[in-house]
Amino acid sequence: MKNLLIKEWKLAIHPTVLLFFGLALMLLIPSYPFYVVFFYTVLGLFFVCVTGRENKDIEYTLTLPIRKRDAVRSRILFAMLVELCQCVMVALVVFLRNALQIGPNEAGMDANVALFGLSLIMLGLFNHLFFIRYYRNPLKVGKAFAFSAIMTFVYILFAEASTFIFPFFQNRLDTPDPLFMPEKLVTLAVGLLLFLLLSWDACRKAEQSFEALDF
Amino acid sequence: MDAVLSVQGLCKQYEHFALQNVAFTVQPGEIMGFIGRNGAGKTTTLKSILNFVHPDSGEIRFFGQTFAEAEMAIKSKIGFVSGGVDYYIHKKLRVITSVTRRFYPDWDDEACTNYMQQFRLDENKTPAELSAGMKVKYNLVLALSHHAELLLLDEPTSGLDPVSRDELLDIFLELSKAGTSILFSTHITSDLDKCADRITYIHAGQIVASEEINRFVSAYRAVELREEELTEAMKPQLIGLKPAKHGYSAIVKADDAPAFPSATATDLETVMIHLEKEHEA
Repeated sequence: MKNLLIKEWKLAIHPTVLLFFGLALMLLIPSYPFYVVFFYTVLGLFFVCVTGRENKDIEYTLTLPIRKRDAVRSRILFAMLVELCQCVMVALVVFLRNALQIGPNEAGMDANVALFGLSLIMLGLFNHLFFIRYYRNPLKVGKAFAFSAIMTFVYILFAEASTFIFPFFQNRLDTPDPLFMPEKLVTLAVGLLLFLLLSWDACRKAEQSFEALDF
Repeated sequence: MDAVLSVQGLCKQYEHFALQNVAFTVQPGEIMGFIGRNGAGKTTTLKSILNFVHPDSGEIRFFGQTFAEAEMAIKSKIGFVSGGVDYYIHKKLRVITSVTRRFYPDWDDEACTNYMQQFRLDENKTPAELSAGMKVKYNLVLALSHHAELLLLDEPTSGLDPVSRDELLDIFLELSKAGTSILFSTHITSDLDKCADRITYIHAGQIVASEEINRFVSAYRAVELREEELTEAMKPQLIGLKPAKHGYSAIVKADDAPAFPSATATDLETVMIHLEKEHEA
């Protein structure tokens, strides 16, 4: 797996993946829908898969002495690592934002611990929607992404709207840290758990589809 | 000794095409030419062998083992060259090499450097900057640097100029002498005249012959007939009768040749052309 991850890093990675890490700085914008930063992360992953198709990544990978399912596993693990790296980048910028005392986000969810939990759910949801469809037919990566992107946007709309609609979100989660930290930590834990579960299930199902695929 | 590759009863059904009971073996150190016209099933067979395509039935053994038993060990001992390197064409060769080498426990850096020099490949170039022949050579470098015992080559000489093709065939001969087995799919039969020990001939998804190349070719004779020489009585013996520059051409079985004074020794291409013509009829 280590060698496959190195292959992802040296051959498969698309420059936008690294570029979009820099978009964590958008957390310094006083009021902004911060989930969008994470959407760029998954857009970068989509580019990895598109260029992978153009570069015949799967054909190359399958000639290596690996099991077919390892090709799927390494790609999804790589995606998860990129997503978690983005979380770390965003966390660093949140520290900076707090140090600069920029204040609450009027456009949606505050840059706080709960944001990470809700963003991890979004990333897990994307992984589940995208990779299962992608590995049914890697040539139709655009179709898989279009559906996943739309559903991810629906999630973002729902998550942001929740801070205006549901009192729990409005009064507890959408507040500056360290207010209501237990609720926010639970949200983070649930987010992380769902991220892992959804990604694991995506991996399991994608492996099955990919195993059955003829090239 | 176990065959390096044994394919038995391989079947794969598609909507408009089927591989039917494909069977052949490749012995150690042998160059096996896998011939057939475009669409005959060569690539599908190779892909089935490599498990890229899932056969409906059949058994494929590499070095006596199936993919299910030892996929990784088998892949470590084979090299697949599907034409030239056509993946990651904008990455430098040294980057592709550095990634690829990690997967092979038997990777030989010295051999890799030597082959790169022998083939005059610059590791700072990208595949996009290489000629078609150099792309094939780079793929061979990757296969040879992990000491592949079996090379599966899917039309490696297609699109190459005659000199590059000849160069590659020389390389195949050298490898074969050193003990590497080669399964070489092509529709350029003259390449096989130069280097193959045996041929497997596939037509419409079925194996027509799998035997020593000289034996296969010498089983036929070429016949050229002027229009007035052709009689109805001859026709049952003429295989793949077709118009030629000065009348007709065909092949006949060697046993029938005495009845045709103009019968001459033939070559693989002529045999294949007339057998295909016969199948069409």
